[in-house]
Amino acid sequence: MRYAYYPGCSLHSMETAYDRSVKAVCKHLGVELWEIPDWVCCGASSGHSMGHLVGLAIPAKSLVKAEKEGLDVLAPCAACWQRMVWVNHEINNSPGMKEKISRAIEEEINGTSKIFSIIDFLASFGMDKIAQAVKKPLKGLKVASYYGCYYVKPPKVAHVDDPENPHLMDDLMQALGAEAINWPFKTECCGASMIFQDVDTTVSMSKKVIEMAYKAGADVIVTACPVCEMNLDMRMEQINKKFKTNFKIPVVYFTELMAYAMGSVPQQIGLDSGHCSDVQSLLAKIS
Amino acid sequence: MSSTVNLSAQQREHSDFAERVFKESGVDVLKCYQCGKCSAGCSVHICGGMDVSPNRIMRMVQLGMEEEALRTRTIWACVLCSTCTARCPRDIDIARVMDTLRIMAHKRGITEGFNNASVFHNIFMDSIIKYGRVYEAGLLVALKMKQSGTMFADLPIGIPAMINVAFRLPKLPPKMKNSDQVRRVVENCKKIEGEN
Repeated sequence: MRYAYYPGCSLHSMETAYDRSVKAVCKHLGVELWEIPDWVCCGASSGHSMGHLVGLAIPAKSLVKAEKEGLDVLAPCAACWQRMVWVNHEINNSPGMKEKISRAIEEEINGTSKIFSIIDFLASFGMDKIAQAVKKPLKGLKVASYYGCYYVKPPKVAHVDDPENPHLMDDLMQALGAEAINWPFKTECCGASMIFQDVDTTVSMSKKVIEMAYKAGADVIVTACPVCEMNLDMRMEQINKKFKTNFKIPVVYFTELMAYAMGSVPQQIGLDSGHCSDVQSLLAKIS
Repeated sequence: MSSTVNLSAQQREHSDFAERVFKESGVDVLKCYQCGKCSAGCSVHICGGMDVSPNRIMRMVQLGMEEEALRTRTIWACVLCSTCTARCPRDIDIARVMDTLRIMAHKRGITEGFNNASVFHNIFMDSIIKYGRVYEAGLLVALKMKQSGTMFADLPIGIPAMINVAFRLPKLPPKMKNSDQVRRVVENCKKIEGEN
């Protein structure tokens, strides 16, 4: 199995733990990743607010390279994934848009490559196959699966899972032997890129998510989006100071737990060093 | 925003605004019947990030209050989580309308609703036009220089987190074979849109 891999800017910058753990899980499952050569930023969170066409043409510039190679795309970042899905959606639903995008990127694009998020991609293997690949089951670990927004909303375009009560990441965590806790804020927004514009509001939004996971008894919050990860993981101390709370929940990518359970060591995938939150308590629990 | 609006005059003189929003976004805002479900589920609104609730933006578009709507903080504060869109009983893509209003405001150079957001978008675009990918360290420095009131807003993350971030953040701009790709795409888009 060969897929075009679009890591996006975050995975090659701050969030290498996501990049490394996705690659590790794919290796464990026998998936070959072909990184799109000389890919460019998808334009999120700004391109689409500058103009409708430019918001589509920027991600199309990388997408067309996968299309020419005849490959489907794996885009682990939720924002990158949704921007690419919009390209295909508009090519197929807006008359004239295919021609406009093609002219803007100076290449013909047809919208024929399927674009997978890492959640539905891994879930498509089937939970039995995932469970078979597990070498170190995560017995007794209570995991809050946090999906965020971009994978499930708006549901007409982004339909990885149910928009209000998604379950695929929970299923994957259970396949690892962990306990997927039932909690209500799976898709509540973390504040996303507003962290670069209004820290107070964003921190208030992230706090609600962390607080709910804490109240539900989670040992760890897992995410599938670099922006969610940064907002929850990096801001934990800031939230504690601002709201006089004492949250100490590790926040990691769900692929890190998967890679670990399938035999990767934490140092290989950045599980030990790629986060600000308390990963030591997590490592103590799972080792 | 508690001023009185003369509805008849407003609609007589500005009824084309909803039509233009429809043309730009493909979303018919006139379908909104003000149930308020969008605002009830909006995380940004609940956490105090907006000056006007999302359902009021819909009403402003219906009434043709273009100048007022484009000057709200709300259109920029929306993070496009699309919870409103997912829940709207009238099947209105509210998030898409917010993005469309942003595009309209941007094209007219209206930024006063939420200047820090506009600064962010400009710096972000500059970064990817110049390097092809986001240069985060450069982006952060530029934001601190140009935004108002955010210089020290990140300090409370604490010293251990700051050390971790400083360790992880690439210091040099991203390297690409052809870093000119985004600039060409952006210029082509301007030409194509200029033809219409």
